Amino acid sequence: MAFDKLELNEIEVWDGNHAAAQALRQAQVDVVSAYPITPSTAVVEGYAKFKADNLVEGEVVMVESEHAAMSGCIGAAAAGGRVATATASQGLALMAETLYQASGMRLPIVLNLVNRALAAPLNVNCDHSDMYMVRDSGWIQFDAFNAQEAYDLNLIAFKVGEDHDVRLPVVVNQDGFLTSHTAQGLHPLSDDDAYNFVGEYKPMNDMLDFEHPVSHGIQTEEDWHFEHKARQHADTMNIVPAKIDEAFAEFERISGRKYNHIEKYDMDDAEVCVVCMGTSVETAREVAKEMREKGIKAGVIGIRVFRPFPFADISEALKDLKAVAVLDRSAPGGAAGALFNEIAGSLINTDTKVLLSGYIYGLGGRDLTKKHLVDLYTELQANADAGKLLTQQQQFIGVRGPKLAFL
Amino acid sequence: MLEIRWHSRAGQGAVTGAKGLADVISTTGKHVQAFAFYGSAKRGAAMTAYNRVDDKPVLNHEKYMEPDYVFVIDPALVYTSDVTVNGKDNTKYIITTHLPKDELIKAQPKLEGKEVYTVDCITIANETIGRPIPNTPMLGAFMKISEMYDIEFFKESMKRILKKLPQKIVDANMIAIQRAYDEVK
Amino acid sequence: MSKQQGWDEFEIGAMLRSFDGKIDECPAFTPQRDRNYSQNSSHVASVADWRLIKPVYNKDYCIDCQFCWVYCPDVSIISRDKKMIGIDMDHCKGCGVCVEVCPTNPKSLLMFPEQADEETEIASWPTKDEKEE
Ligand code: SF4
Ligand code: SF4
Repeated sequence: MAFDKLELNEIEVWDGNHAAAQALRQAQVDVVSAYPITPSTAVVEGYAKFKADNLVEGEVVMVESEHAAMSGCIGAAAAGGRVATATASQGLALMAETLYQASGMRLPIVLNLVNRALAAPLNVNCDHSDMYMVRDSGWIQFDAFNAQEAYDLNLIAFKVGEDHDVRLPVVVNQDGFLTSHTAQGLHPLSDDDAYNFVGEYKPMNDMLDFEHPVSHGIQTEEDWHFEHKARQHADTMNIVPAKIDEAFAEFERISGRKYNHIEKYDMDDAEVCVVCMGTSVETAREVAKEMREKGIKAGVIGIRVFRPFPFADISEALKDLKAVAVLDRSAPGGAAGALFNEIAGSLINTDTKVLLSGYIYGLGGRDLTKKHLVDLYTELQANADAGKLLTQQQQFIGVRGPKLAFL
Repeated sequence: MLEIRWHSRAGQGAVTGAKGLADVISTTGKHVQAFAFYGSAKRGAAMTAYNRVDDKPVLNHEKYMEPDYVFVIDPALVYTSDVTVNGKDNTKYIITTHLPKDELIKAQPKLEGKEVYTVDCITIANETIGRPIPNTPMLGAFMKISEMYDIEFFKESMKRILKKLPQKIVDANMIAIQRAYDEVK
Repeated sequence: MSKQQGWDEFEIGAMLRSFDGKIDECPAFTPQRDRNYSQNSSHVASVADWRLIKPVYNKDYCIDCQFCWVYCPDVSIISRDKKMIGIDMDHCKGCGVCVEVCPTNPKSLLMFPEQADEETEIASWPTKDEKEE
């Protein structure tokens, strides 16, 4: 090969952005088409640096907007390349139209979404409103809780998305700053192991296959559109989960790190539980352990695969609990939180008696402290003891001013 | 769990310092975390960076911290921001200043009764590296106060971390680290 | 393509194949009639019945400028070696754009009723329009 490899240490101290860039390097991405935006910039910058240092053979395409960035990715993917990019927040908003093109065209692009609040007011810090904004865009969505997982899930994303039975684009979410700019020790794979796991890119219906000319981006109207969308949903529901399982299993074989559609911590005998995403999952794990010392049987569930949503796993894990809090890091805009809704949807029509409450927290990077979580578990235990919700169904954590509660 | 909070101005290298420290500590088998609060993200704006160190994986991602050590690498921040916020009784403060300790405490009474150490990282950096980048000298002072590692081991480790810089700059940083180690009071 | 196909009966992606099977040579080098167009190609769908009026080509005035070939929205101008040779009446929809863009005087393409006889119209082709100059 015409490029150099890197010797990595057993433990590297990387932040989430650098971890993602290293994964793109190891996957030998052909094209990164991007328009950098805080806090995702260093993913693209890192890949461009690898390119400048002759550590990758790919192309970095700098474009004039995020809309063009994803359009470039779509073109490159349709042409038959392994393609990735990164964005956040407003950048994703501008990209949104093209995300639907990518999934509808069944192009396996990997998008590092470094979760950031959406303006107004302008804010560069973490919340999940960008992740939620494109939750119905037809992309597979993974969520990393730390830098190690951002690295691992990037490799897994190529493996899953590029499978010819899947052929769907994949978002790898990580918390802006809290993961993207937080350095922690992680265990990277060697360049060879990582590339062998991801595998050589196998094109499908690529425009550069001159022996089989194809037209991409066709128009359908009422006569065909529904069938296309139905096919996409059916594949996402019927095929993707098992493909993710396969990739998780193979990744565990080579790395020793096991991933699941939902990650369960201290759930075996749990009576109360917090369900959340991103770095909050880890902070909650630590608090749950401390709550157990106080006699509260606390557990945590982190959503690893946000799309396709793991309905069956969730209802199985939660149905026998007494009280569950669902944490949504996005302004709900006149509804219950999106994750709350999915969890409620997983539990309805079962005979569960679990008490479900939703909490809006952490908007614009507002700190979720251990103290907040201690109070939350205490409230859950009170609900469990009373056998009913003692509060309204939707509350806010960590916002100044009079207490907010709805529903 | 060892927790450190850095007070700095954007551009003075607190994030690089915090990540460098994490990198060194990580090679000794401990688990590390280094992050920062960027605020308005403008060069010169006050900012804070953080280190967490533990024998087990660091899961806590809250930004709230009751630090064991507070590093102040810009001399003005001790007056314009509260460097003692969320401090514990035994929190140690290593503060960049040209003042003797008693004068500093007189000028900032909040430091009264605290375990305060002073070192002039700005002057050291100016005289060695040639630029007011006070992050590596602060780590030299920290090695002295914390007795975390032998200073020679620490300098060797920092050489590895700084290896992409020109040799002249690396050497200057080594002198700066050693001077701060020797001069912190 | 049959409109009765269900969601599970077609290839994934918003993608259609132009040809059935493998193409050995660049299609541009293969005459249209020899190309193995797939059922998904608009080549197999005639729009002749869309026409109420049709273009008639008079080669006596044509300067082979290729304007009609460039502008025809349905690729129905047949051109070989940069020479205009006629109109693909299976795919011409009778829009008249080719006539609009034809620069000769008199025009080398004119629209006539669908039932008009080509030879008759060519025999009585208009002469040079002096006013236009
Ligand atoms: S009438 Fe319209 S469709 Fe027919 S050849 Fe002319 S431009 Fe093409
Ligand atoms: S536009 Fe007129 S002159 Fe030009 S090639 Fe066509 S028919 Fe001939």
